[in-house]
Amino acid sequence: MRNTARVLRYAFASAMADLRATYTWKSWGLAWLLRMLFQVTLFAFIGKLIGDPRVVEYLVIGNSVFITADVVMLVCASTSWERMSGTLPLLVASPAAPFTVFTGRSAQWLLDGLACSTISLLVLPPFLGVQLPLGTRLAVVPLIAVIAVSVYFFGLVLGGLALRAMAARNLIGRVGSIGLMLLTGVQVPVSFWPTPLESLAQLLPLTHGLGAVRAALGNGSASDVLRGIALEVVVGVGWALVAAFTYWRLTASGRRDGTIEFGG
Amino acid sequence: MTTAAVRVRGLTREFTRRRAQPRLALDAVDLTVEEGEVHGLLGPNGAGKTTLCKILSTVLLPTSGTALVNGFDVVRETKQVRQGIGIVFGGERGLYTRLTARQNLMYWSALYQQPTRVAKARVAELLERMGLLERADDAVETFSRGMKQRLHLARGLIGDPRTLLLDEPTVGMDPVAARDFRSLVAELRGEGRSILITTHDMAEAESVCDKVSLIDGGKVIGTESPRTIGGWMSKYERVRAQGVPEEVRAKLRALPGVSEVRVEDDEEVLVSVDAEGAAARVLRTLVDAGVSAVSTSRPSLEEVYLHVIGDRGLAVR
Repeated sequence: MRNTARVLRYAFASAMADLRATYTWKSWGLAWLLRMLFQVTLFAFIGKLIGDPRVVEYLVIGNSVFITADVVMLVCASTSWERMSGTLPLLVASPAAPFTVFTGRSAQWLLDGLACSTISLLVLPPFLGVQLPLGTRLAVVPLIAVIAVSVYFFGLVLGGLALRAMAARNLIGRVGSIGLMLLTGVQVPVSFWPTPLESLAQLLPLTHGLGAVRAALGNGSASDVLRGIALEVVVGVGWALVAAFTYWRLTASGRRDGTIEFGG
Repeated sequence: MTTAAVRVRGLTREFTRRRAQPRLALDAVDLTVEEGEVHGLLGPNGAGKTTLCKILSTVLLPTSGTALVNGFDVVRETKQVRQGIGIVFGGERGLYTRLTARQNLMYWSALYQQPTRVAKARVAELLERMGLLERADDAVETFSRGMKQRLHLARGLIGDPRTLLLDEPTVGMDPVAARDFRSLVAELRGEGRSILITTHDMAEAESVCDKVSLIDGGKVIGTESPRTIGGWMSKYERVRAQGVPEEVRAKLRALPGVSEVRVEDDEEVLVSVDAEGAAARVLRTLVDAGVSAVSTSRPSLEEVYLHVIGDRGLAVR
């Protein structure tokens, strides 16, 4: 257990070093964060065009929370970097469990995504004419953190698939991200979709957590919030188990079919 | 009784691909690397060297046969095998280039389950040993190829492994960096570590190995000391001479066991033989003809390689 914690800690440390190498504070703030805020604003303007303040509020909350998922889904791409950098065989041949390593290696996106969402929720609503108490907006940040973790494990599953199909790695990540945006109640209520898709949405991360955030920011009861976030945790644990199986399969089948190449 | 560092028996690996003929990468390979030995695996590209390394490092399963590393089975006892090996392969890949050298090593030390205090000391020691201490906190992407390869070796040593698997570790290095790397390998042998090094560079195998196995087409052709392999091929000894008159050259060509008499650019004559005792007959003929600028050379490992497997049209660098 202590070893697992140490592996997670150092994998996370290297993930943060990756993040620092990717962005400066300036490039993060003036490029990445702004891009995310514009994304939320764009969807809010669609609500304004429709002319219904409730739609604007729905879209501002949904898209502010979604940018956490959008950023966290980068785990899919960054997981596949291991094969591109030639470190995958070294990971497999090390005494550490690949799932533990991969869980830590892309965790920078959790902080990145959470920061983007929090800033979006704190800054944008007043400018877009959405009246939400500041205290309540701050109070939902822990709920968004739970969503981020839940989405992260979903992204890890897709990252494991991307490691098996490198040519499709970007497609897999984007389809996963867009799927979440469409189905989980970000732009339209889950009930908008036909029953099979509505059922699928119940199994996806974000759906229940976003419901909890909406309940917390609206007139939902405490039990609505708790039920939503509890379901999000359950879904997240489910995806974590699938992710663990995915990485076990990745190494087992890679050893069998010879797809874990030295240097590649 | 000591346990061999690597003991491979009847190891076979076949790759099957959809809509393609199965490919036999290893064919009933037997190989033993004794404790503390530097063992070279010498062969051309596609000979099966990397496949063998992958099996020994537990990233590939054999189709049949057995392979033990430090006494542990690579199929059933992967955990123990992984704790006792270090892997280094050549080229630019296998490092986190955006991280610093120290960050890379601290990360791998965690994966090799070293307590933080031990890891910090070991990382500093390895950085110093590899001559990277001054650049320890620079991003790896700013390193030269030689520095990256030394960092690779440091990473391979982070878990203090008994056995090192070096797969073409000097590929792409400039001669000076390759020489320095070989010195490090010699130091590691001095520490009693066992090393399996794959290469297609004859000079490398000759300079660092205690034993060399020739491999081609997935089969180990022979395992001997580099000197013994040279002995096998002594019948291919070469004689060089200068100022050899044409009539003497004709005599040389007529000698039994002489395969070729070639005049090189600087009027030096190179006589190749292909039979035991032929070199002595050539020397006697030259001396009798009054030619005094004569030298002989033992076949290099490269020549051994060419004679044993190169006659199938393989390219050797």
